[in-house]
Formats: sequence, structure tokens, C-alpha cells
Amino acid sequence: MIKVEKLHKSFGNHEVLKDITTEIKKGQVVSIIGPSGSGKSTFLRCLNLLETPTSGTILIGGQNLMESKKDNQKIRQQIGMVFQHFHLFPHMTVLENLTYAPIKVKGEKKSVAEEKARVLLKRVGLSPKEKAYPSSLSGGQKQRVAIARALAMEPELMLFDEPTSALDPEMVKEVLDVMKDLAKSGMTMAVVTHEMGFAREVADRVLFLDHGVLVEEGNPVEFFNNPRTDRARDFLEKVL
Amino acid sequence: MNLDFSQMVPYIPFMLEGIWVTLKFVFFAIILGAIFGTLLALCKISHIKPLRWAADAYTSVFRGTPLILQLMIIYYAVPQLTGYDIDAFLAAILAFGLNSSAYISEIIRAGIQAVDKGQMEAAHALGIPYRAMMKDIILPQALKNILPALMNEFITLTKESAIVSTIGYLDLMRRAQVVGADLFRNFEPLLFVGVIYWCLVMGLTVIGRMFERRLKKSD
Repeated sequence: MIKVEKLHKSFGNHEVLKDITTEIKKGQVVSIIGPSGSGKSTFLRCLNLLETPTSGTILIGGQNLMESKKDNQKIRQQIGMVFQHFHLFPHMTVLENLTYAPIKVKGEKKSVAEEKARVLLKRVGLSPKEKAYPSSLSGGQKQRVAIARALAMEPELMLFDEPTSALDPEMVKEVLDVMKDLAKSGMTMAVVTHEMGFAREVADRVLFLDHGVLVEEGNPVEFFNNPRTDRARDFLEKVL
Repeated sequence: MNLDFSQMVPYIPFMLEGIWVTLKFVFFAIILGAIFGTLLALCKISHIKPLRWAADAYTSVFRGTPLILQLMIIYYAVPQLTGYDIDAFLAAILAFGLNSSAYISEIIRAGIQAVDKGQMEAAHALGIPYRAMMKDIILPQALKNILPALMNEFITLTKESAIVSTIGYLDLMRRAQVVGADLFRNFEPLLFVGVIYWCLVMGLTVIGRMFERRLKKSD
């Protein structure tokens, strides 16, 4: 699905990502964890070119992202993204948030887009809120709408950038439940998270980043029970 | 006290006609200023350096010189260069529209930059093209924040429009002067058009408030 080779990213003189090579297979759920400042969000944002990598290749479905500058929009349409701070469009209702891009970008008919949006809202448990504006929703509800908005574009890959970090503790579960449900449905997902429970339970693979280096990757049971590197062991001791 | 409004009565229709004359060119100047100001603002936040540079230079010139000077250059000096005998109406629209666009572009630029950066990222992530993103997502949010500043600019423009009286354009202000000269009484006609200007500005204020309320419905 997505192949990353020798990815580097620098901001000025500061090298944030150093030589990252990895792969996400179709249907896989990959958790990206690591201390803050380790470059995990930057890595995720490189995957849909919100950050332009300094060098390296990113192949999605055989197409090199770095070479096809013109097709950025096309590629981004296939990749959904969920942000820490939701970034819903505040001047649009929940339903309009979901239907705007499918109508504008994919040229879907309004009635079709709305029908699909209602199905998605039902899936995230927010059907009664379709006419509400984002400002009247709780954090957990906003994030569920944001997930539905990304899904409305029918992406092949979903990126989650710390989706629960800005939520009150009692709202984390409702968002994680939606994500678990999504993982079960076979969606390919890359999730930057501090929720070790989610990484352990739901992920097929864990990537551990530290200081911009992909230090360790593997299946979650092995990683959490038997980390191979000292750095991963240190980190896990602090967070678990 | 030497005040006699009765002598002014026959001139009232003449002065009232000035409302229409003033509103006509103010309306077009606001439209020109708003459209051109928006384009300038987009240039100012663009990644293309020459565009940014040109827009900044434009603003610096039109904000850095008196409006009355710009008006006089357009009305009196440009015909000398081009041979085209510009009429007062067009000169007024151009001078006020071009001048106002410099101020409006600054207001809009600030408004766009105040919109949360995440909004642009969300739009990028959904594959929304630049034009649609600006038109449907960024500018509507910017507009909500800058509406009071924008109304202020329109009010200023409406009042400062009195400057066109200096090129002989028969607006409200000019008509008051004409009547004053005719009657040898200035206080009454000046007071009369003063009240009219105030009413116009109050009208604008009410329209602005209505707009603001409509944009606030998503709060």
C-alpha cells in the first residue's frame, strides 16, 4: 500500500527524520509511538505531503509521491487525515462538513453525498447532530465528526495524528471505539498515539521513533513485552 | 440668532438629489475596493515573491499619499498624459476604489492570517483545490473576524466621499456649497447635508450589524 524509503526531513539545520524506511501493507493498522519531539507527527504528515520531505521516496500504489507534484491533490484524496485538534470547518454544519469535499472535489451529487454522509454519521453515532455546528459539540463528538469527514472521501489509507490527545479523559473511549471499529472493517491505518492500550490491542505493528530515527518496529505483543532496544525499554518504563 | 431654514426650502429637492449622486459612486468605489483589495490580499500571502512585492508597493503608495492628491492626479493630471478626458464620476470611483483597496487589502490579509492554520491543513488533507479552499473555507471565516474593521472602512469611505466636491462633482457636499453661495447663508445647508451623511452612516452601521448577526449563527 505505502512504502517509505530513506525518508529525510529537516527544518533548517534541524534534522527531524533520519533515514526512515518502512512499509504499511493494505489492511494493516500501524501505531507510531515515541517520546514527544521524536518526529512521529512529522513522519505522518510527510505521508500526505503536508510536510515536504527533504529526500527519500514515498510510494503509494506504486506511484512516487515525491515526483508527482501535480497530482498531490489526487493522492491526498485517497488519504484521509484526522488531526489532534479536529479542524472541523466551524462555519458549516456537521452534514456540510462531511459533504463539502465529496461534492466539490469528487463531483458527487449533493443528494448522493448527503446520503453517504448520513450513513457515516450513523456509524460514528452522531446522526442526531447533522444540523449542528461544530461549536456546539463536545471534543469527542468533534473528533468523531472529523473521522467521518475523512471517511466521506472514501480513502484507502487513514492517518491519525494524536487523535485523542486534546480530549478530556472521559471522551477518549468513544473516539477509540470508532477507530477500533474502523480497524475491524479492514481500513489501512497509521496512528500516531500516546494510547499504549490502543497500540497494544488494535495495532498489527508498532513503529517506535526516537530523535527522528526508526529505532524499532515489530508486532505489538513482542514490542511491549520484550523490547529489543534500550531506548524502547526506557520509553515503555516511563509510559506504562 | 441668525438662523432661517425657510429660505432653504426651495433648494431641498436639489440637495436631496445629492444623496443618490453620492451613493452611486460610493457604491461602485466600495465594490472596486473590495474586489481589488481581496486580490491584493491574496497576492500579499502568496508564495510568489514578485506578487507580494508588487502588492506591498501598491499599498505603500496609496496609503502613503493624501486621497485628495490621488483624486486630483486622476482627474486633472492623467488627461494631460493620455489625452483621455476622464469624467468626474469615473475619476471619483477610481480614486476612492483604488485608495480603499489598499486599506481593505491590509484588513483582509490580517483576517486570513488570523484563521487557524489547521483549517488550511484540513482542506489540503481533503484534496480541496486552492481556489475552492480560499472561497469556501478561509475567506468566509476571515470575513467574520474582519467585518467590524471592514464596516469601519466603508463608513470612512462614505464620509470622505465629500472630497469629490473639490473636482466639481455635484455630490451632497458640493450641493450644500452651491446652495450656500446662492443664499449667502451656509449654516443651514451644511447642517442639512451633515444630517444626511449621519443618516447614511447609520444605515451602513445597521446593515453591518445585520451581517454580523447572520455570520454569528454558527457560534
